[in-house]
Amino acid sequence: MKFFEASHTFFYSWSHVSAASWRKYPNDKCPHVIAIDVLDRHVDPETGILRTERLITCQQNIPKLLSKLFGGSTVTYAREISEIDPKNKVLKMTSCNLSVNHLVNVSETVVYKEDPSDPSKTLFKQEASIKCGESISQFASFIEDFFVQRFGDNATKGRQGFENVLDRLKGQGETIKS
Amino acid sequence: MSQSIGANCNELKKEYDTCFNKWYSEKFLKGDVRPECEELFQKYRDCVLNAIKQKKIDKLLVEARKEDPFSSVTEKK
Repeated sequence: MKFFEASHTFFYSWSHVSAASWRKYPNDKCPHVIAIDVLDRHVDPETGILRTERLITCQQNIPKLLSKLFGGSTVTYAREISEIDPKNKVLKMTSCNLSVNHLVNVSETVVYKEDPSDPSKTLFKQEASIKCGESISQFASFIEDFFVQRFGDNATKGRQGFENVLDRLKGQGETIKS
Repeated sequence: MSQSIGANCNELKKEYDTCFNKWYSEKFLKGDVRPECEELFQKYRDCVLNAIKQKKIDKLLVEARKEDPFSSVTEKK
């Protein structure tokens, strides 16, 4: 198993960031995310927490060896569950691949929360683990390294793409300020 | 606006997303958590569930929910 971690500070309020998170895609830095669908969603009546289950459809180039192992498909699916706690100003998203998950498991958790020392900023933390199944353990190191690398590339692009979305929405005044 | 997995669901998705984003910014973040857009969601969701079935992703989702049910997110905290 291998791990990936990243953190970042967005210079926007949590309200702006959380509202923009629903509109992160499409963005030109992340063309591999080709569709996003809401499968289920509700507000917990006791806690006021908004929970959402989404299906993320991605298409990206992968090395030939992986493509063969994965049955030749370049389209992959992931399931994401998010929780938004508006009182404590925390947005947490966890996601896991649905495709080829008997071969490799990629789990990710991201958290956006208000900076306790400055409410005009939002702290972002991302953690991922990549684990290969027994059946392809002879390739585990290669595959896990590939996914860590790819994850890092996509994380950087995703952050840049999201910064652009945050800036665009702020310009349009489409999300509330704080 | 992002695309839907079902090409024929894009229009329904757009209507729902527009309604939801407005509700999220203008109501939810301001403390009014009463749901809106339910009818639009139902129509969009029916379309998506159909597309998922056709692409045979429904079984993958059933398996994933066995391990990590949607309703258990809060309980795990």
